[in-house]
Amino acid sequence: MNRFVSSFFFPIRYLLFFLSTNSFFIHCVLLIIFLFSISQVRADNHYEVVTNKGVGENKLSANSLRSIFSMHLKTWSDGTKIRVFVFPDDDQLHQVFSKEKLNVFPYQLRSTWDRLVFSGTGQAPIKVNSVEEMLEKVTNTPGSIGYLWRANINENVNVLEIK
Amino acid sequence: MKMLTCSRLSSFLGILPQKMLIQGILLLVFGVISLSIQGQNLHTKEAIVIQENPAINLAATQLPSQVTVPKKSSWVNNAFDWYQKKSMQGDFQIHGFIGQSYILSSHNNVFGHSTSGAGGSFGLTEAGLNASFRPLPKLLISAQVLSRRAGEGSSGMPRLDFAFLDYRLYSHEANQFGIRAGRLKNPFGFYNDTRDVPFTRPSILLPQSIYFDRTRNLALSGDSVQLYADVGHSRWGTFSTQVGLLFPIVSDRDTERAVLVFPNMHGHLTREVSYIGRGIYETNDKRIRLGVSGIWLNSNYDPPVGEKILGLPITSGSLQFSPVYFSAQYNSERWSLTGEYAIRHFAYSGFHHDTIDKTNFFGESFYVQGEYRITPKWETFIRYDVMFTDRSDKNGKNWVLQDPDHLKGFEHSRYAKDFTVGLRWNVTPEFMVRAEYHHVNGTGWISRLDNPLLNQTEKNWDLFAIQASYRF
Repeated sequence: MNRFVSSFFFPIRYLLFFLSTNSFFIHCVLLIIFLFSISQVRADNHYEVVTNKGVGENKLSANSLRSIFSMHLKTWSDGTKIRVFVFPDDDQLHQVFSKEKLNVFPYQLRSTWDRLVFSGTGQAPIKVNSVEEMLEKVTNTPGSIGYLWRANINENVNVLEIK
Repeated sequence: MKMLTCSRLSSFLGILPQKMLIQGILLLVFGVISLSIQGQNLHTKEAIVIQENPAINLAATQLPSQVTVPKKSSWVNNAFDWYQKKSMQGDFQIHGFIGQSYILSSHNNVFGHSTSGAGGSFGLTEAGLNASFRPLPKLLISAQVLSRRAGEGSSGMPRLDFAFLDYRLYSHEANQFGIRAGRLKNPFGFYNDTRDVPFTRPSILLPQSIYFDRTRNLALSGDSVQLYADVGHSRWGTFSTQVGLLFPIVSDRDTERAVLVFPNMHGHLTREVSYIGRGIYETNDKRIRLGVSGIWLNSNYDPPVGEKILGLPITSGSLQFSPVYFSAQYNSERWSLTGEYAIRHFAYSGFHHDTIDKTNFFGESFYVQGEYRITPKWETFIRYDVMFTDRSDKNGKNWVLQDPDHLKGFEHSRYAKDFTVGLRWNVTPEFMVRAEYHHVNGTGWISRLDNPLLNQTEKNWDLFAIQASYRF
C-alpha cells in the first residue's frame, strides 16, 4: 500500500526535476522512471472480486463482470439473483477496481446506474461504507458480489477468477 | 501522449533564459498538485490502517450483524422486517431527487417571469420519488412520481412519470433480452429518459434544440409496450436496442400550443398509436457511444363545431411528428465530447383545408458540447446549440410571407442559436450546485405560454441560471 502512495508522489517529483534540468541524458532517464512508476500504479493488483459462498460460479469473463457491475446482468447462470455491493464513488479501491477490472471510469458507472434508476429500467448497486461492511454483506447476502483488498478477504467468501 | 507533452514542455522551458521564473512556475505547479493529492492521500492512509489489521476485521464479522430486539408478532412488524430485509439486500429500493433553480434573463421568459425587470424567477422546481422492487430474479417493478413547477407550462402537480413491469426473457453473460409494459420513459437521444433529474443532465437547461421543454410532456413518457435487447461482445462492445408501441401524452396546453401551429385552433388533440425505437452502440470501455433514435408520433385534432382557420372551415385531421436523432459521445477520464443531431418531420393531413394540409416541413437541430472534469468535484462545460423550425426556411423569411402584417420582424421565432458555458460543483455525491450562462440569438424554443405576445419577445438575449440539487 505504501507503494501506492509513494508512486503517486515520485513521478511528480521526477517530472519536476527533469523539467528543471537541461541535460538530455537526465531527461531520458527520468522520463523512463516517470513512465515506469505510472505503470506501477496500474499494476497494483492487491484486490479480488469476491462472492457469497453460495454462488456456484468460480470463474467469470471480464465481459460478464462489466455487465454485472453495470447492473445489466441480473442473474447467475443458475437463475438466482445477483446482488451487487460497491464502495462509494470516491473510494480508492472502487476507483482502481472500476478502471482496472471493468475498464471504465467511476463517473461512467455512476451515470449508467443513474440512467437505470431514474428511468426505472434497473436498480442501483448497494453502497457499503467500509471494508468490514463489505465483508459482512458479501458473507451474509445470498447471490452477492463485491470486491476487497486481498488482506481483508477471509474464508467466509469466495474469490472469483476473472478470465 | 504524456511523453510528448513533457518533452515539448521541457524544450519550451529550456529556451527561456530566466531560470528563476521556471522554478517559480514549477513550485506553483507542485503546490497545486500536492494540495489536490492531499485529499486522496488521507483516504489512502485510512485504507492502509484497515488493511494492516485483518484481525480487527475478523472480529467485526463475528459480531451479530444486527441487534435483535424482542418483537411483538403483528403485521406491522412483519411488514417492517420484510421491508428491512428486502432493502438491505437491494431488492426494494427507493430513490429521489429535488432541484431548485433561479433563472434571470435579459429578455423573454423562461420558466416564469425570469426577465431582469421582474427580478428573475425561482420558477423551476423539480422533484421526483421512485421505488423499484424485484420480487423474482427476472421481474422488476418500478414507478416514479414527478413534480415539476416550470412557468405556465408545468404547475408542479405531481404526475405519474413511469410505472411498469420489466421481465427478462433471456439472459446470458452480456446478452439480455426482455419486455417492458406500462407507462415508460420515451427512449430517445442520450438524455430524454432522465431529463428531469438534475444530476443526470449536463446542464440546468438541456440543449433545447433537441430536448424542447415546451413539448416535453409529449416527448417524456407514454403508455407503452417495449422490447429491449443488449448484445455484448468481448472485443467489439455492446449494442443495446429498445423498440416499442406507445400512446403519447398529448393533453397538456403547452404541447397543444406548440404543436398546433396555426393561431386560433381551439380544439383538442387525441392520441393515436405511435412507434419509438433507439439503438446505442458502446465500446466496452464506454469511451465511444453512438446512438440512433426515432419516433413516429401520431395524434388527431378535433376542432370545436364550426371552427374556421384563416377564414375557412376545417374538419378533424391528423398530425404526424417524426423526428430522427443521431447521437455521439467520446469519454476520457477528464473530457467528454457530445454531439446530437435531429431532423424533425412535421405534417398535417386530412383537415380539408388547403393551407393546413400543405403544412409539411422538416425542422433541424444539433448541438456540440464539451465537458471537462477539473477534479471529481468540479466540472465545467461549453456548448453550442442550434435549432431551425423549418430547415428550408432557416431565417424565417418565408414564414413571415404567410402573414406579413402580423409576423414582420419576428423571423427570430423560427430559429435559435444558443451559446452556453457552465460550472458545476459536486459538494458531496448527493448534493450539487451549478451555474450557467447562455447567450441566445433567436426565440425558436421559448415557451409560448410564458411568452404569449410575439411583440414582447426579443431576438438577442442572455440567460443566467443557478441550481442546487439533492438526491438519494
